[in-house]
Amino acid sequence: MNTVQGLWQGFQVAFSWEGIFFVFIGVTIGTLIGMLPGLGPITAIAIMIPMVYGMDPTIAMVLMAGVYYGAVFGGSTSSILLNAPGVSGTVATSFDGYPMAQQGEAGKALAIAAIASFTGGTVSIILLMLFAPTLAQIAVSFGPVEYFALMFMGLVAISSLSDGSAIKALISGVLGFMAVTIGIDAQTGTPRFTFGNANLLEGIDFLVVALGLFALAEVAFLIKNRNNVGIEKTQNIGSLKLTRQDVKEMTGPLLRHSPLGFILGVLPGAGATIASFISYITEKRFSKKPEEFGKGSIKGLTAPETSNNAATSGAFVPLLSLGIPGSGTTAIMLGALLVLGINPGPLLFQDHPEVFWGVVASMYIGNIFLLILNLPLIPYIAKILKIPRPLLISLIIMFCMIGVYSISFNIFDLYLLLAFGFVGYLFRLFAFPAPPFILAFILGGMMEQSLRQALTISNGNFMILVESPIAIGLFILSILSFAFPFIKNRKIQKA
Amino acid sequence: MKRIFALLLLIWVISSLAACKQETKSKSGEEKWVPEKAIEMVAPAGAGGGWDTTARTVAKVFSEEGIIDEDIGVVNKEGGGGAIAWTYIHNLKGSNHHMFVSSPPLIFVPLNGQTELTYEDFTPLANLIADYAAFAVRADAEWDNLNELFEDMKKDPESISIVGASAPGSMDHMQFVKIAKEAGVDVTKIKYVSNQEGAPLTDLLNGSVDVYSTGVAETVEQVKAGKIKVLGITSPERLEGDVLSTFPTALEQGIDATFVNWRGFFGPPNMDEDAIQYYEEKFKELSDSEAFAKIRNQYGWSEMFMGHEEYKKFLKEQTEELTELMEELGLAQ
Repeated sequence: MNTVQGLWQGFQVAFSWEGIFFVFIGVTIGTLIGMLPGLGPITAIAIMIPMVYGMDPTIAMVLMAGVYYGAVFGGSTSSILLNAPGVSGTVATSFDGYPMAQQGEAGKALAIAAIASFTGGTVSIILLMLFAPTLAQIAVSFGPVEYFALMFMGLVAISSLSDGSAIKALISGVLGFMAVTIGIDAQTGTPRFTFGNANLLEGIDFLVVALGLFALAEVAFLIKNRNNVGIEKTQNIGSLKLTRQDVKEMTGPLLRHSPLGFILGVLPGAGATIASFISYITEKRFSKKPEEFGKGSIKGLTAPETSNNAATSGAFVPLLSLGIPGSGTTAIMLGALLVLGINPGPLLFQDHPEVFWGVVASMYIGNIFLLILNLPLIPYIAKILKIPRPLLISLIIMFCMIGVYSISFNIFDLYLLLAFGFVGYLFRLFAFPAPPFILAFILGGMMEQSLRQALTISNGNFMILVESPIAIGLFILSILSFAFPFIKNRKIQKA
Repeated sequence: MKRIFALLLLIWVISSLAACKQETKSKSGEEKWVPEKAIEMVAPAGAGGGWDTTARTVAKVFSEEGIIDEDIGVVNKEGGGGAIAWTYIHNLKGSNHHMFVSSPPLIFVPLNGQTELTYEDFTPLANLIADYAAFAVRADAEWDNLNELFEDMKKDPESISIVGASAPGSMDHMQFVKIAKEAGVDVTKIKYVSNQEGAPLTDLLNGSVDVYSTGVAETVEQVKAGKIKVLGITSPERLEGDVLSTFPTALEQGIDATFVNWRGFFGPPNMDEDAIQYYEEKFKELSDSEAFAKIRNQYGWSEMFMGHEEYKKFLKEQTEELTELMEELGLAQ
């Protein structure tokens, strides 16, 4: 079956009343889940599995996929408005989205996020449709060595995530690294830095760190500065309309990060979170005005928002063409396929083309739904900012707590959340940047594990790191990205 | 006067109510214990894993087939490889309305020293299903059976790496160790790589590692597509199914060892005898139902029912066997 026939078949499923209905339900649930901090798509989809039992497999997958990409789409809202990322893939969105909202441009920030999400999602579906079987090869081309190189490339950029002192950024990064080593070490099974506390065995959840360092720290700061003027400005939603200049700013990142996010999404284990970070830092690295990043840069908002949605669609490549789940959420969908009587594997594409094409076709519709669902709602959603300060602050705290508690229903996580909130507050007080912490936390864990996996395989020989062409390429890119700002400075000086 | 009268009335009402309760209790002792409220079924891991799937499907069949009338709520309690949930259930001593689903990690995790609790601290109710391990290599690998692989491992254990999704000292590692040891491999030298974030299968397919230690079900589709081959599985006999029946067991290759990934349910300590009996019967009914047979089929699980007493005996044997193995590897704490 060729692409056209397949897609035709897929659209027939997706355009049936059932298809349209369930895409709509899926993306609506997804958006809502995404907007509430902490409630991730994993839980939602797991709860759905018994409900979709007995349903047509394609329709069930269409529904669950809708929840998945809908959540990443909607997750940007709370990142931008409240600095409280709804899902882990939208943490980087808050770096520039929240400052924009602070400057009275919440409406514009949300509109940019919606357009970036839509573009990233749609471009990536086109790529998925055209190249899925070929891309499956890329998905399995990354072993421990290649992952190490990829994470290395991300971490090299840590120093660039600070506005001022690079030393402070590095200290923040090292602390993030340290935090991620807490818990049972995967390569030896030994607990590290748990101090005999069973609650720490599983390590610290990413959301606890993100909500503490960003949302709670922000809340603490709002309380501290409650008497300052300028609140009127913050409460201003601003216009939704984008100027020609805005669109021009967005075009570059949209074109760059749709494919980049997609490829990173295709890699099992990388996913939307890592994609959004890597996009953000590369955009900043190669920007002509890196000093604008973190202060409400349109490029800084567009890059991660495009990338995380592109990565979400990309994650369907290994799932649907190889039967390999690349993330927690796709792993659950793999389980769901089994329940539905479909064996996910390399033959799914041949044996059940209707599932593959149905999901692809539904994603086109789903993305359009998301756009028309989100854009008109922006003025209403942004009104959150008009809620009186004391009430809004209590609401943010409450949502953070519910979100964190719902990760594993463990009170201990709430204490951790408070602790990270306090750390975040100290960071702000002494002008330490928080993004390097979270970046090191996210990339560091995987980087350490891949390095040690690689060294186990090579019996401790470090040469294994430079035996892979992909890894060598990534190392060269890391060096270039490190050197780029210096070269650029010299050029400017010469001129 | 009025007040004293009211007090007396109150005492009379309370005592008669208490007597009433007493009566029903002794009555139910003669007849049969039935749940008095909703049952809480704990999956000691996050949503979507093996424990969660088992709990959710079991709860569903219990309700839909009308085997248990009371509501059954599935609760996820993630953390510590199960230890958080075990502590939670352990604190509910004597409750007849709580249980959790478990499998071999209930033996591994205590041996690794991550919790003080062992299966003996709980009430084994019934085992339901069994899963078996499969050892797979790339389709173009030089080995065609377990003996060829183990011969090479005996010569040079450091040249071959094994990947699995669990930590060293847990399932994917130990199931391989158990079979390899029986074949005469120096198991202290086995190179085990744990890949918990991405997919271990990827590492096998791209050639980073040589052998993938996993569950039988995970290999079927890849074998069908000709990407990998299964050198051996750990079941006592060949399994049923198109592809499954082509997988040779370790036993038939002359390696006298099996490994079963059992899955069953446990209650808190000091559960009432009547309640244990009740659940044992209900799990038996579930295991024999057509609806559950269908689910077993879908997930590739084998039937393995054991009641309370039999299960206890089985767990004791398993623990002894695995303790010995972990001590040899220096992993037991």
